[in-house]
Parts: sequence; C-alpha cells; structure tokens
Amino acid sequence: MNTTLKIVLVSLVVMGSVAYLILSGVKQTGMQYMTVTELAQMERAPKPGGFRLDGIVAAGTIQYDQKTPRLRFRMTDGKEAVNIVYEGLMPDAFADGRDVVVEGTFEHADRTLHATKLVTKCPSKYESDALGEDKS
Amino acid sequence: MSEIGRLSLLIAFLCAVFSVGSIAWGLRTGRVGLLRSGRNALWAVCGLTLLAVILIGRALVARDFTYRYVAEHTSLDLSPAFAFASLWAGQEGSLLLWLLILASYGAAFLWFYRKRLDPFYDAVAMVVASVAVFFTYLLAFVCSPFRMLANPPLDGQGLNPLLQDPGMMIHPPILYIGYVGFIIPFAFGIAVLLMNRTGTRWIEEVRRWTLFSWMFLGFGVLLGARWAYVELGWGGYWGWDPVENASLMPWLVGTAFLHSVMIEQRRGMLKTWNVALIVLTFELSIFGTFLTRSGVLTSVHSFAESEIGPWFMAFIIGSSTLATALIIYRKALLESENRMDAIVSREGSFLFNNVLFVALTFATFLGTTFPVVSEAVTGAKISVSAPFFNRVNVPIGLALLLLTGAGPVLSWRRATLSVLQRNFLLPTVAGILATLASLPLGLHGVYPIVTVFGSAFVLTTVVMEFARGLQARKDVAASRGAMAIVELMTKNKRRYGGYIIHLGVVMIFIGVLGSSVIQKEAHRPLKTGETLTIGDYALTLKGTEQKMEPGAAMTSAVLDVSQKGKSLGQSRPSKAMYFKSQQPMTEVALHQTLGEDLYMILGGVNDDGTVSIQAYINPLVSLIWIGGIVMVLGTIFTLSDRMRLRREEKEAV
Repeated sequence: MNTTLKIVLVSLVVMGSVAYLILSGVKQTGMQYMTVTELAQMERAPKPGGFRLDGIVAAGTIQYDQKTPRLRFRMTDGKEAVNIVYEGLMPDAFADGRDVVVEGTFEHADRTLHATKLVTKCPSKYESDALGEDKS
Repeated sequence: MSEIGRLSLLIAFLCAVFSVGSIAWGLRTGRVGLLRSGRNALWAVCGLTLLAVILIGRALVARDFTYRYVAEHTSLDLSPAFAFASLWAGQEGSLLLWLLILASYGAAFLWFYRKRLDPFYDAVAMVVASVAVFFTYLLAFVCSPFRMLANPPLDGQGLNPLLQDPGMMIHPPILYIGYVGFIIPFAFGIAVLLMNRTGTRWIEEVRRWTLFSWMFLGFGVLLGARWAYVELGWGGYWGWDPVENASLMPWLVGTAFLHSVMIEQRRGMLKTWNVALIVLTFELSIFGTFLTRSGVLTSVHSFAESEIGPWFMAFIIGSSTLATALIIYRKALLESENRMDAIVSREGSFLFNNVLFVALTFATFLGTTFPVVSEAVTGAKISVSAPFFNRVNVPIGLALLLLTGAGPVLSWRRATLSVLQRNFLLPTVAGILATLASLPLGLHGVYPIVTVFGSAFVLTTVVMEFARGLQARKDVAASRGAMAIVELMTKNKRRYGGYIIHLGVVMIFIGVLGSSVIQKEAHRPLKTGETLTIGDYALTLKGTEQKMEPGAAMTSAVLDVSQKGKSLGQSRPSKAMYFKSQQPMTEVALHQTLGEDLYMILGGVNDDGTVSIQAYINPLVSLIWIGGIVMVLGTIFTLSDRMRLRREEKEAV
C-alpha cells in the first residue's frame, strides 16, 4: 500500500476515535444550564447529574451545619425558589445574594436539590460602580 | 501625572502605527532610512509603555485613590508588593502588562538582530508593531488604566483575597511571558510569507524563541496548578476550568510545533503545517487572554465582564483570516521537498504526535466553549466539565505518552524490523514488569495500567539512549567515568535536553496518576485532645489560635501530626477573615514529602467548641512540581546550545 494512503487512513482512524470520544463524552457528561424557574416548572425531575442550576442564594436562608458538614439554603432567580442541600464544606465566597451554580439530583416531591457540586461565582463588587463618576 | 500616562499610551499608539507604516513603505521602496525609523518607533513604543507602567505602578504603591484603577484594586492595608502586583489583578492593568511584555519582546528582538541588515528582520518587526497597534489602541481608547475619579474614596476596595499570595504574584507575569512570547514565532512566520523567504535558517531561529515562551507558558500553567492546590483548598490542583484550559491550549499546539519543526529542518517536509501551527499557537494565546479577561464563560477566574470582548474577537478573526490568506497565497513557497517513506519511522511518530496534540487542543477548545457552541447550534446551553475532559483527554494524553517512548527510538525515514526489535524489546519488558509490580498497590482500570506501562517504557528508552551514546564513545567513557555523561550531553544538547524534558513529562504523568487514583480523604469535628486518623497519620487537636494579620483575622487549628507514632511536628490549617471583602479564605496546611502530601483544611470552629478538620492524602503530588522543574531545566539546557551557537556565529562574523 502507498505510504500517503496509509498515513491518511491511520489519521482518519485517530480522528474518528477522537470524534467518538468527544461525542460520547458530551452525551454522557454534558449538562444543561437551567434557571430556577425552568427547574421548578418542570413536570418531572430532570436526569440526575444531567443539569446545572444557575441562581442566587436567597437572603437569610443559609443553614450551615459545620460538623457534618451540611449546607442548606434556598436558591432563587427572583421568581421561583428551590431548596438546596449540599453535603460538604461551605465555599469561602459563599454568602447571601451570591451567584452560585449547583449540580446534583432534584427531588420533585419536596422540591429539593441534593447537590453534589457547588460553585460560587466570584462577587462582582471588585468591578462595581460604587466609586462613582470619572473626572472629566 | 495621569495626563502623562494617558499621553504616553496615546503616543505609543501613534508610534506603533508609524512603525508599521514606515517599515511597510520602506520594504516597498527599499529605502533603508524608512526601515530604520520604523524600528526606532518600535523602540519608542517599548519606552512609552514602560513609562506608563512606572506611572501606574507608582500610583498603586502610593495608593493614590484618585486613580479609578487604584481605588478598585488596592487598599491601605496591602503591603507595597501586593499593591504593585494589583497591576495584574484587573483588566486594564493586565492589558498594560501584556503590552509591556509584548514591547519587551519587540525590543529584545531588535537588540538581538541589530546587526542584521536583511529587510526580512524589518518585516518581523513590522508584524510585532502591528500587534502593538491593537493593544495600544485598546489601552489608549477603550480601557485606559488612567481613568480618574471625580470623588476619590478614602480607602480602596481592596485586592481579592485569593490573589494575596506570593505564588499568585508571579503566576500571571510568568504566564504572560509565555503567552506573549509566541508573538515572535508568529511574526517570523508571517514575515516569511510576506517576504517569500526560502531556506531553513529562520526555522532554527523560531525554534529558539518558541522554546523560550513554551518553557515560560508551561511553567506558568504549573504555577497556576500549584496555586490552586495551596490556595483554593479543595485538595486538587486542576479542575479543567476555562482559564486553565485557555493556558493549556497554546502550550499543546506549541509542543506540537516544537516536534514537527524538526521534520522540517531535517527533511524539508510539513512546511504549511508548521506555519499553520505557529499561527494557531499565537491565536490561542490571544484567545487565552480574551477568555481570562472577558468573562465570556462562567469561571471563577473571570473577575471582570467587560467591553473588550468584541475587540478581541475581531482581532482573532481578522489576524487568522489574513494569515490563512497569506498561507494560501504563498502555497508554492511551502511546498514539501520530500515525501514520507514509511509510516513506522521518526517522521511518522512526529506526525501522529502532531495529530494527537491538535486533537487534544481541539477537544479542550470544544469542551471549554461548549456552552456557547451548543447555544448557537441547538439553542440549549449545555456545559461540560471535568468528567468530559477526563474522558476525552486522558486517552489522548496516554497515547502521547506511549509515543514519547516510541518516537525517539524509531529511525528516520524507515524503521526496519530488526531496529524495532532491538529498540522495543527492553522497554516493553520493563513496562510489563513495572505494571506487574504496581498491581498490588491497587490499580484498577485500563488508564492507570497504561500510565504505569508507558512511564516505565519511556524511562527505559531514555536510559537506553544514554547508554547507547556512552557505548558509542566507549574509549572516552572508560577514562572519564561520570564526566563522560556530561560530555555526551553537551555534545548534543538539543537531543539530551529533549530527553530530560521527556523525563519531566513522565514524572508529571506519574504524579497525576498517584494523586487522582489513590487519594484518601477523612473529615470529622474534633474536641481538643481528640485524634483524626487518615492512612498512617494521626492528627491530634491541641487547640485553636487567633491572630491578627494586616487586613485579616486568622483562626488556626493547632494539630499535632504524627505518622506511625513518629511525631512530624505541628500543623496549622487556618481560615483568614478579610475585613475589606468580609470573605473568609481557607489557608491549607501541607505536610509534603516525595511520596505523598498530607493536606489539611480547617472547616471551622463549631458552636459547641469542636473544630471541623478535613484531611486528604495525595500520593505523589510532589512529582508534578518536580517534573515541572525538570522540564524547565531540560529546556534551559537545550536553549544553552543556542546561546553557544550565537556566540560562535558572532565570532565567525
């Protein structure tokens, strides 16, 4: 067989396998971004681990049991709210009103999400407009 | 003062524009004076940028809160060093640092080639100046670091506590030296196309510049991992976060280039491919800066959401379109001089190395931008995270590990069966033995076993290569003993430097394997006097301590740590409460050894007086950092050859 042809064939096999890895990877690990309203209005609970929920920590709802450790709070997008239970240490930047992203299993019956992962987005106060106008 | 700063950036912009115009005109008309003015204007860009950095740096250290940037990113309680480092905490300052490094590379280039009167080098300078036009424009007109406040506050808003760490102080500049350095290879590549330059001399020059940036970028990536490990307090060091991926991608393509360029030097093949790789490396560096700074994707790193996003997109699309058009236009220049003889050969292994590195980059790129891509294509915003990258990138990485072993012992052009037998038998046997030996450690699954096999395989091939080199110089070796190895290595620095780098890579693979497969975790609230055991270790709580630090109150748990009954002294996992941001920061306590790290986190002091402690045993993590240092040393060793070459060249002149 011609060398060029061999190279093309082997490259195709390599690229095909990579494409397969990517496609199956997306299918099995891809997660859909959802808002709290979208989740709350669903008829059935979405596939566990198949979605990420974006929202804000509702003020005054944080209950933290540091000994277990277990963190409970309500997450909202301004319209709807759901309960979140997360078994793990409270992240440093976690506080009332912060943007958070959670992943886990949603129990439709008691509208509670058992989070396996909790990410706190950095507070945006560092870039806030609190400093007022520029000098002209 | 701020007017001077603003003015310096404005003049820098004009100088950059002048430099491009003057050199372009000089190249057309052949007037040497225009070329010289163009080069001088690039020097001016460098000086003016330095002036701007000094001015903003002075304001940061003096905490002059009339500057918006200073008020946004510093506060009175910061040490002067951290205050200065706030230069790269925000967007405007980061861009200014970017420009400073860009201009410094331009100046270094002009200095090294000051005696070369070949207009080719002026064309390179012109490309550097064109990129400087973009950055000076952004800094002069879009996001100036010299914006002043109408009502300056008494104290600034402070620096994000996460960034108040010595490692974090040097991480961004090191990373940027890597990112920005690819400007020179890119400029060489574009200049070759513009000037229709033939010959391979430029390839050797580009290799030196690429190696230099590649080393800094790789080092920067590992510093970032190290920082995540000691500062973020989640027991890991790599989370496939968009910003981590952004720094990894140009490194991967740069690595592909450093390999395939050897084929071009040796056989005159893959020319188009190599130019495309340089362009891609540079574009990915810009893309990395853009990802870090634009906040287009959800990431803990994106502190700012800003107006510069569209500018960067326009720059990336514009410059890559131009580069692609040039490559097509100069097709004839890039024609291959040879054909590949056989697939099982050094060239073949490099080719697959390249296919795999590009595939790895593509998968990483796709995974990183997936929310945006899926929203555009299907309307649903779907994201992928660590499980995706582990699933896709780990097998590709392992294939590359195996190639690391196979490539160097395959002969050029065509490897015969007898060569294959001679070179592969011992490494394969070593790989199998290592695998069998490691099975009792509790390795499950294909990937860990392939990692062990591949690592032993690569190690054996490297040792064999050294042995073979010594064998060839048997007479010398006998008389000189250990010195013979040093002599052998200095005879061919590029080759043996490469092997050293490969050893570093193997160490990193083993470190990643150890820490991801056999990590142990334990957590429990402790009363004073109680003990948490994890593995061989026993952590006994002695009590807690309160301490005031500048800007923060520190709570520490005092733990007596012992291993198998032998005391290892005290460790203090802590939490610092920063007054400015009202944000706690976990300060991890680490007990590091070559074999494993004991990683301790203070969860907090509970209402009932108990103290929550979480501990991890991370095996072999140290190998990752040591492997990184070995890679840097190997690169410096390889580069030292270039320095010698340059000296010789000078003497010859």
